Amino acid sequence: MTNPKHARGEHYLTTPKAEPFLERLIFNNRITILVLFAVLTAFLGYNAVKIQPDASFERMIPLEHPYIVNMLEHRDDLENLGNFVRIAVATKDGSDIFTEEYMETLRQITDEVFYLSGVDRSGLKSLWTPNVRWVEVTEQGFQGGTIIPDNYDGSSAESLEQLRQNVLRSSEVGRLISDNFRSTIVYAPLYENDPQTGEPLDYAAFSRQLEEKIREKYQAQNPNVSIHIVGFAKKVGDLIEGIGAIAWFAGITIALTTLLLFWYSRCIAGTLVPVLTSIVAVFWQLGALKILGYGLDPYSVLVPFLVFAIGISHGVQLVNAMAVEAARGFDPLNAARLAFRALYIPGMLALISDAFGFLTLLFIDIDVIKDLAVAAGLGVAIVIITNLVLHPLLMSYIGITAGGIRHVQKQGEETDRKWRRLSAFASPKAAPISVLIALLGLGVGVYLKQDLKVGDLDQGAPELRADSRYNTDNAFIIDNYSTSADVLVVMVKTPVEQCTQYSVLRAMDTLQWELQNTPGVQSTVSLADVSKIVTKALNEGNWNWYAISRNQTIINASIRDAPSGLINTDCSLTPTLVFLEDHKAETLQTVVNAVEVFAANNSNEDHTFLLAAGNAGVEAATNDVIAKAKDWMLVFVYGVVSLLCLATFRSWRAVLCIVVPLGLTSVLAEAIMAMSGIGIKVATLPVIALGVGIGVDYGIYIYSKLEKFLLEGKSLQEAYFETLRSTGKAVIFTGITLGLGVVTWIFSPIKFQADMGLLLFFMFIWNMIGSIWLLPALAHFLLKPEQMREKARLANAKS
Amino acid sequence: MAIRNRRPTCACPGFAAAISLAALCVLTPSTAFAVADLLETPARSTELATVSLLNDVARAGDSERLVAVGERGHIIYSDDGGAKWTQASVPVSVTLTGVDFGSASHGWAVGHSGAVLHSSDSGSNWTLQMTGIQAANLAIAGVQQEIETTEQRLETAAEEDVGDLEWALDDLVFGLENMQADLSVGPVNPFLDVWFEDASHGFVIGAYGMIFHTADGGNQWQDWARKLDNGDKYHLNAITKIAGGALVIAGEAGQIHVSEDNGITWDRRDSGYEGSLFGVTGTGNSGEALAFGLRGTVMHTTDNGQSWERLQTGSSTTLNDGASAGERLVLVGNNGTLVIRNGANDEFKETLRADRLGLMGVVINGPQSLLLVGEGGVVLVEGDAGMEEQGAVE
Repeated sequence: MTNPKHARGEHYLTTPKAEPFLERLIFNNRITILVLFAVLTAFLGYNAVKIQPDASFERMIPLEHPYIVNMLEHRDDLENLGNFVRIAVATKDGSDIFTEEYMETLRQITDEVFYLSGVDRSGLKSLWTPNVRWVEVTEQGFQGGTIIPDNYDGSSAESLEQLRQNVLRSSEVGRLISDNFRSTIVYAPLYENDPQTGEPLDYAAFSRQLEEKIREKYQAQNPNVSIHIVGFAKKVGDLIEGIGAIAWFAGITIALTTLLLFWYSRCIAGTLVPVLTSIVAVFWQLGALKILGYGLDPYSVLVPFLVFAIGISHGVQLVNAMAVEAARGFDPLNAARLAFRALYIPGMLALISDAFGFLTLLFIDIDVIKDLAVAAGLGVAIVIITNLVLHPLLMSYIGITAGGIRHVQKQGEETDRKWRRLSAFASPKAAPISVLIALLGLGVGVYLKQDLKVGDLDQGAPELRADSRYNTDNAFIIDNYSTSADVLVVMVKTPVEQCTQYSVLRAMDTLQWELQNTPGVQSTVSLADVSKIVTKALNEGNWNWYAISRNQTIINASIRDAPSGLINTDCSLTPTLVFLEDHKAETLQTVVNAVEVFAANNSNEDHTFLLAAGNAGVEAATNDVIAKAKDWMLVFVYGVVSLLCLATFRSWRAVLCIVVPLGLTSVLAEAIMAMSGIGIKVATLPVIALGVGIGVDYGIYIYSKLEKFLLEGKSLQEAYFETLRSTGKAVIFTGITLGLGVVTWIFSPIKFQADMGLLLFFMFIWNMIGSIWLLPALAHFLLKPEQMREKARLANAKS
Repeated sequence: MAIRNRRPTCACPGFAAAISLAALCVLTPSTAFAVADLLETPARSTELATVSLLNDVARAGDSERLVAVGERGHIIYSDDGGAKWTQASVPVSVTLTGVDFGSASHGWAVGHSGAVLHSSDSGSNWTLQMTGIQAANLAIAGVQQEIETTEQRLETAAEEDVGDLEWALDDLVFGLENMQADLSVGPVNPFLDVWFEDASHGFVIGAYGMIFHTADGGNQWQDWARKLDNGDKYHLNAITKIAGGALVIAGEAGQIHVSEDNGITWDRRDSGYEGSLFGVTGTGNSGEALAFGLRGTVMHTTDNGQSWERLQTGSSTTLNDGASAGERLVLVGNNGTLVIRNGANDEFKETLRADRLGLMGVVINGPQSLLLVGEGGVVLVEGDAGMEEQGAVE
């Protein structure tokens, strides 16, 4: 052994010399430091208030992935493809759309949407817009007109009948008009940036306008219509709105924690000061993020909760230590100093291990997760300052109340009996049973987690709950229109002005047929389809001509009016849209594999097939990154935690005692994910790192005490009893406060936040149980107290 | 003028090659093949064949077998009246437009890229008999010979005929240049229909006035274009034989061509309609036929097309195909249109199928059963011949 103090049986970290430098620095300049803190809090608090919700699309995707690189490289060429909203206006009483009242409401909605800022008016489509037409082939050529008859008066039976005929003659049934003629769609493409001001579209504001000016207004005006809105802008708007609900969760969390803290300490000061210091830490963290240029995205909004919970859980130990010192008769200042002296190193060690756990997230190439790592790392750094400096300083003025001191003194024999019972976990009788149960749990967990999937598993927008308004709207549109919400876009790159060549269309058509014969693909669309349909139309609508002509002149004529999204400006890129049945990871993988094989065999100088854009393309890339990062991250986080424990305790047996319960928790957490249909995704992957990083605290606290008492010569069970007596309560309390910090998230309107909340709650609580129940059982098998003492004695003698 | 139809060499894999390709397909995913010409790409075996576009359906002679053809080289056959279908082995992936059987076992299918396919086993396996390249070469050779003949006649022509002959020669040269330009692009033009008398004699017709005749089951084809009065090269859309023995072709611009000598000579007859006719069908009565096309137009003749009258159907959508059985007559068209007349003196009645998908072919299976093919593949309508279709629009 190289560390003499450690070998002597004094834990070198937990028993520093009296009055270390830091303690003098802090406690001799109390006023200066408090003033400094007040100024900092004012400054950072001011910034914290200004922090904005931010649901930037780009930060949520793996920017380095080749699919995403391709997508972003061609983003301008694909611009018009994805960004639109569809507003379905449905009749409620089951009548069809051919009534005066319905058509009038639809007309007003169309006009209202036309004037919403952000809408590309030239692309706006509804039955009332002139760009939606019916076409008929006649002996003289084409004949056509707007869907609304020229002489439409709304009231006469003739004009409604004419309207019905025009609708039937148009090719919009299934697109703008539902298959059952009970709803129609107002389709509004959006500008990513305002063409006049260049300002990016404000999704939150746009989404609010849709609610207020369209949904609420017209549902109130015409009680027989219901309005369903889908589209990226609406989804992002709902997400940002969902972040707003977090304020409620914050309030509930603070209230619950305060109550719990008072129950624990029975001291007003010991309750309010940790809560206030933790809130100060949250303000600092938010303010620092704002200054560093970050916003609050739906993922990193979790971090303030963690910061608060970590702040409380460490703060409670200071309160506990101070109450013990105060009960011995020390005044507030000295009690605070002694508590600080006892706690600042194990506190820092635990917090630093938390931070390391978070920093492993930097391994995942998705900005939003990296942001989460930065925000959490920053938060922990701040908690170190507020908790270890601000908190004892404040307490040194206020002190523990008499009630709090009495509460500590009262906890004598009654609580000892409880700890005595719990210490049986270390007994030779209970230990084998515990280990057996753990093995059984491990087996069940490993069995169940076979079903664990990568990616999002639910229908609809995975970010939101299945029964959210957005997803019910989405389901309505999928049920009533020929459309799918999951689109994979294969980009076909050609030399300039060559994107409509026969060879290109023919290759795309081959790919499409390959994909339509691939499980999970619902339908496909490309320029090849446009060419076939229009070629047929140009040949008097005769299906015998439904083919891509080998004659380039005919092809060119057939795609003259192709939708702009299907050809870029210099005709060097044309997308193939693949509509999928769902966005399950297997579906995505099967389809992406089929495209990859095809692309590898058919890309040449005339046409290169590139993956991938569309929401399914982004998800495929994200799944790929997550699947690859998952194992690395686990290896890394466990590696870091194990190394940290090894460095502290210099014994692999100690490492096993601490890390094995964590491993069991990780396995069980994955089993829970598999059972409740939560996939490994951007939201849940960080949870594993957070859970392990924070969960190791318990083990460190328990093991360090246990080792100390063992070296003092106590038997394992006796040593564990002493451990529980001195730190058990704090550990249990820490687990509960951490759990409380995240449990409110289960009720978040944002699905992945709920998933994160559930998993973190489980991991925080179960890690605590694991360290109290399983750690001593493992210690029974792994630790050799005689050897430990012998080593300590030898080292002692040597020094 | 005829050239022997050579079995295609390696550029166009014949049946044997198609078999070996098919065998390879089993071993490796078909995506492993680079995109090849449609005439060299065997149709992919797919469950989607029965729900993808089908353009024509025919009965194999007097047998129970029904054979339907459609996009991507799909040929499917059924031996139980259209309930269960099997996909045939086809060496091409072009869109197929027409199918007809000369006997229970010998059938022909035609389509884009000038593809002519033959089956001698009732439609289970098909081989490529002719492509658009060979068809274009035949047609070009025919025009070249015509040019030679015209030039010879011009040398010895009387003064007053010279002007006409020079006009005709200019037309021919212009036509030849067009055909050569087309051929330089590839086999651009589709055949649109096929008719066979028996296992030997038959016609294929198609775009821009293409018509070829065979007398030996398709081994040799002869360009028949100049036997028809179709100087403007209008599309020939449909060919059938009606009761009484007359062959009738319906085409673009209201064209009707009739042959009363089994196709040796053809006579253009005035349908009285200027729009496109997409189909023609006999009624079972000698010399009686209906020709139909754009905007629900139905023209009726009882004298082998000498005179026509327009029938009112109440339909305004394009009609593509028709069939008759006894007194019953069924016409099908775009947007799910069915036009049915149950007795010779009854009115036509139109119904629209709820899915509004285009219909391209119809076979009357029995008194209570219609087999339809079209945009959405196969549709078997049991019951009162689709008269009670759901979602019908009055």
